[in-house]
Amino acid sequence: MINALCLLLILISSLFFSGIVIRTKSVFSGRKGPGIFLPIKDIWRLLRKGSVYSETSSFVFQIAPSIYLASVLMAILFIPFGNIPGLISFNGDFVFFAYVLALGKFFSIIGALDTGSSFEGMGASREALYSMLVEPAFFILMGSFALFTGHTSFAEIFATLHFGSYISYAIGVLATFVLVIIAMVENSRMPVDDPKTHLELTMVHEVMILDNSGFDLGLILHTTNLKFAMYGAIIANFFLTPNYEWYYSVPIFIGAQFLFAVVVGTIESFEARFRMNHNPQFIFMLTSISLLIFMGVLLMLGKII
Amino acid sequence: MTNILLIAFTISLIYIGMANRLYTYISAIAFQGVILFGVAFIELIEINTLNLILVLLETIVFKTILIPMFLNYVIKRNKITREAEPFLTNFVSVVIITGIILGSFLMSNTIHDTHLRKIFFVVALSALFTGLYIIITRRKIITHVMGFLVIENGVFILSLAVGNEMPMLVNIGILLDIFVSVLLLGIFVNKIGDVLKEQDVSQLRNLKD
Amino acid sequence: MTYCILIIITTLITVLLIPFLDSKQKGNVAVLGVLINSIISSVIAIQVLLGQTFEYSFYGGFIFGSIILKVDALSAWFILLMNFTSITAILYGVQYLKVYQNQRARLSMHYGSFLLNHFAMIGIYFLHNLLAFLCVWELMAISAFLLVIFEHHKMETIKAGMNYLIQSHVSVVFIMLGIIWVSFNTGSFVFSAISQYSLSVSNPISFLLFLCFFAGFAIKAGFVPFHTWLPHAHPAAPAHISGLMSGVIIKLGIYGILRMLLLINANFLIIGIFILIISVISGVYGVMLAILQHNLKRLLAYHSIENIGIIGIGIGIGCIGKGIGNDFLQFAGFAGALLHTLNHSLFKSLLFYAAGTVYQAVHTVQIEQLGGLIKKMPHTAILFLIGSLAICGLPPFNGFVSEFLIYSGLFGAINNNQLSFTILIISSIFGLVLIGGLALFCFTKAFGIVFLGTARNHHPHNYEEPGTATLFPKYMIVVFILVIGLLPQLFIRVINGPVSMFQDESGLNQSLPKLINTMQMVSLASTAILIFAFGVYFIKKQFTRKAVINFSPTWGCGYDVVSPKLQYTAGSYARSFEKLVKPIINIHKHEGRINTIVPHPVGFASHVSDKIETNLISTPIMHLRGFVGKFTFLQNGSVQFYVLYGVVFILIAITIPFLINSAFFIFELFKQL
Repeated sequence: MINALCLLLILISSLFFSGIVIRTKSVFSGRKGPGIFLPIKDIWRLLRKGSVYSETSSFVFQIAPSIYLASVLMAILFIPFGNIPGLISFNGDFVFFAYVLALGKFFSIIGALDTGSSFEGMGASREALYSMLVEPAFFILMGSFALFTGHTSFAEIFATLHFGSYISYAIGVLATFVLVIIAMVENSRMPVDDPKTHLELTMVHEVMILDNSGFDLGLILHTTNLKFAMYGAIIANFFLTPNYEWYYSVPIFIGAQFLFAVVVGTIESFEARFRMNHNPQFIFMLTSISLLIFMGVLLMLGKII
Repeated sequence: MTNILLIAFTISLIYIGMANRLYTYISAIAFQGVILFGVAFIELIEINTLNLILVLLETIVFKTILIPMFLNYVIKRNKITREAEPFLTNFVSVVIITGIILGSFLMSNTIHDTHLRKIFFVVALSALFTGLYIIITRRKIITHVMGFLVIENGVFILSLAVGNEMPMLVNIGILLDIFVSVLLLGIFVNKIGDVLKEQDVSQLRNLKD
Repeated sequence: MTYCILIIITTLITVLLIPFLDSKQKGNVAVLGVLINSIISSVIAIQVLLGQTFEYSFYGGFIFGSIILKVDALSAWFILLMNFTSITAILYGVQYLKVYQNQRARLSMHYGSFLLNHFAMIGIYFLHNLLAFLCVWELMAISAFLLVIFEHHKMETIKAGMNYLIQSHVSVVFIMLGIIWVSFNTGSFVFSAISQYSLSVSNPISFLLFLCFFAGFAIKAGFVPFHTWLPHAHPAAPAHISGLMSGVIIKLGIYGILRMLLLINANFLIIGIFILIISVISGVYGVMLAILQHNLKRLLAYHSIENIGIIGIGIGIGCIGKGIGNDFLQFAGFAGALLHTLNHSLFKSLLFYAAGTVYQAVHTVQIEQLGGLIKKMPHTAILFLIGSLAICGLPPFNGFVSEFLIYSGLFGAINNNQLSFTILIISSIFGLVLIGGLALFCFTKAFGIVFLGTARNHHPHNYEEPGTATLFPKYMIVVFILVIGLLPQLFIRVINGPVSMFQDESGLNQSLPKLINTMQMVSLASTAILIFAFGVYFIKKQFTRKAVINFSPTWGCGYDVVSPKLQYTAGSYARSFEKLVKPIINIHKHEGRINTIVPHPVGFASHVSDKIETNLISTPIMHLRGFVGKFTFLQNGSVQFYVLYGVVFILIAITIPFLINSAFFIFELFKQL
């Protein structure tokens, strides 16, 4: 049952993740900011409220948020914790991971199209495009890791990953950078989209959930938290790779999540949002950097001198 | 350590492909100058001290400080609008520059010379082709010059690869740099702004007789 | 042998009986005929997959040589695939054609061609004699043409059908070239003559022979750049025939390529790289063009090209694995390709049937005119949704399993000693990911705009969900889709039969247990998704049992006059993608201009044209027409001129020997001088 440790930790860290991000942003703006658990209290309040459904929508709109949450929960089961594999682990499981997340995105996109509103169509179109552009970056990154460690499942890759030379540290830093930006893009935060602006013409994810209310909205907000915690867990795995016992690793994990939340808050406070036209090339740049990481791994393995 | 710096250089090439404003181009070229300073310091540690100090000074002074200052001055004086106007969209530029890097990587695998370290060759070739690409696909004359500067940086990297054995090659690279800054920018700062009112490359066609 | 005679007799009886019955009976007799043929051939196929052999040969006269009827594991797999889709096609087709009850002649030709087509396909999978193969292939091509031009009162249908017929025959020319080459050098028409021949010549010549056959089969399968007939033929055909074509007839090309790979002994590495490059290009090109289409059936046709690309990627990496001796890569590649042929025939036929139902309900397949169909046709919407989820390769459906096999092969082989392979593998991974992402984009657009939202144009008021008989074949397919998605380990065992035919030593079977293990985990994970989804939804229902639920119009940012025109259209959804690919795809826009202060109604239309088709087909045809047009004076319609041509020909035929003799005589004369 120790495999469920990672699942538990991610669930716990998702509770305070959003709160830390908002707190960081407030501190940088010079305010004191709301409590750390305020977003969770918001979600709990929403879960008990009734809903208003649009007349143009159908059953698709009512099941989409549930399937979105289910897909993210499923994806969390794959994440390992240092040496301990996740609840499900097999060769090539990161392919399943990426496609299960795509299943969630499919349903949230058609849930948005179901309302028949032009805003939500706009958001859906952009979300589909950006997720399509960000997938190759993730796959090539995992491909580089598979090449580096010689294994093809999450658990085995992170168990055998070790940093030795200068260049492997540099590649580790680059990989962390790419993962952080992938997390920001997938959750539609800066610099791709601004969650604070409620100008519909400029939003990606926020505009897709305009018509959701009540329990559904609570589900969707918590799914965003879970997604952030999940990417934070993947990034934390970089720091957990030496052979520590699991009770040493837990504080490191929580610390890494905390740090990730603070970094997200900092990026949100100091970066301006890109122009919408600028986003595709920014996201494609992630793929280019992943390709550079791949070539760096080839360099490290001695395949090129 | 050199490898890390060269990877950072390649990332700056991709960044140039993505950039929209002229000032971003200039800061990227200045960043490349700093990287070249680091690489030169590590690589050429074995040649005699005077030559080393000359090379280091040249990279810092010329590539990082003087040329960006010149370019800033030119932009402000000729009131050039601050956007780089490409013929192809920026997305296509990023895709093509990634393709260039991949292509030079593949091409470098056909060379089996043990004296040449492949990573230098890859980065130099990518910088060369990226510079050429920038010249071809941008509309302003000043971005023409910036593309040429990127090409120069590429040639400099290649000369650093063999700099330990042939220090004269590095000096020739430096001379190329000084030539560019004195001749081109000198003309630019003084004359071209008076002759051509608009900063469009198509205006250069009028110089044909 | 009795089985084969039974099949031939069934076909003959049903084909001859059909013109004499009335419309309803025709349908039933056709269904019966197809069912009997399918059951007989499936029984043979299942016996072969379980280990028995089926091989008969008889002497076919001195033209054909010995005709061998043989079913091995590869043909067995394809036979089972074809039979299932043919059964669902004819079941759905009988319902679809109910509106044409009074056109008896057309219906008899259609059902007759369907039976002949089915019979011809069984023949293609059974025969191992080259000349007989060619005859049955021709029969298949002609009967497919007759099936496509069902609605021959429309000019576009006839044009599309002619395009299809001509390109089918170009493929026959290539195949015939290969057959003539082999039989000229070996003197016999048996399939094993090809292996003997290619073993006796050098590798480059074998490769050339393979290319010859590949060109012919690739035109049938729809690889780029041979795909130009697909986007015209599929929309023109009735829906059940589009499903049949996409599901089964295209796979004949894949069968041909696989059979040639088994027979020809050439450098598998080069063949593999060649097929891989063509397939990645096909996949990405097909799906890029699919996103920009506004005709639902054309969109699905371009998606067939993309899926053929994915199958080709599997075949390509299987060949590369065989070439470099990597067992796992070879197994995973061929297994993924073969499983994807089954999966594609399942979900593509489902999607085409659903599109056909939509067409019969609202009489249009233009996506821009549709919308909100889910309210009145929920079953069709669910079926289309399941088909879309399957085609995007999302778990827990079957598309994911085959793509996962190909990914396993690719990631498993990423660690090898040669740099160029690693680069090739990472580029194929990149291509496959891109194809998956683009497919998701395309099908969210197709499903979302057609079924969700509100109607974008006036629909007939009384459209409704069709009856159970129409829905039954589609639900049959859904059962299979779910079974393959949730229990892939069963299908891996079945696939082991055909895939192990590609292995020449017996050191293969260590890949099989590894993959079975992985597939068990995949099945566990897929079931877990379903459990989670139902679980969360159940929890939600429990929680909100007492909550108040209201209904109100969609929030429009305070805008009160909500109209269907405010919705996102298909063109706007695809626009963000269109801006990125403008340099490589031809997008034609027809805009009306507004010049006056009080404008008159102007319109805007845009469509995408296929650059490969324009450059490869339309422009040469235009030039050819110009060139041939110079000779139109010869066809001036006057009978006397034609008689004159005949007389001139006879005179030339008589005098040529004399002329040749005199020429030789003069030549000898000069030599003696």
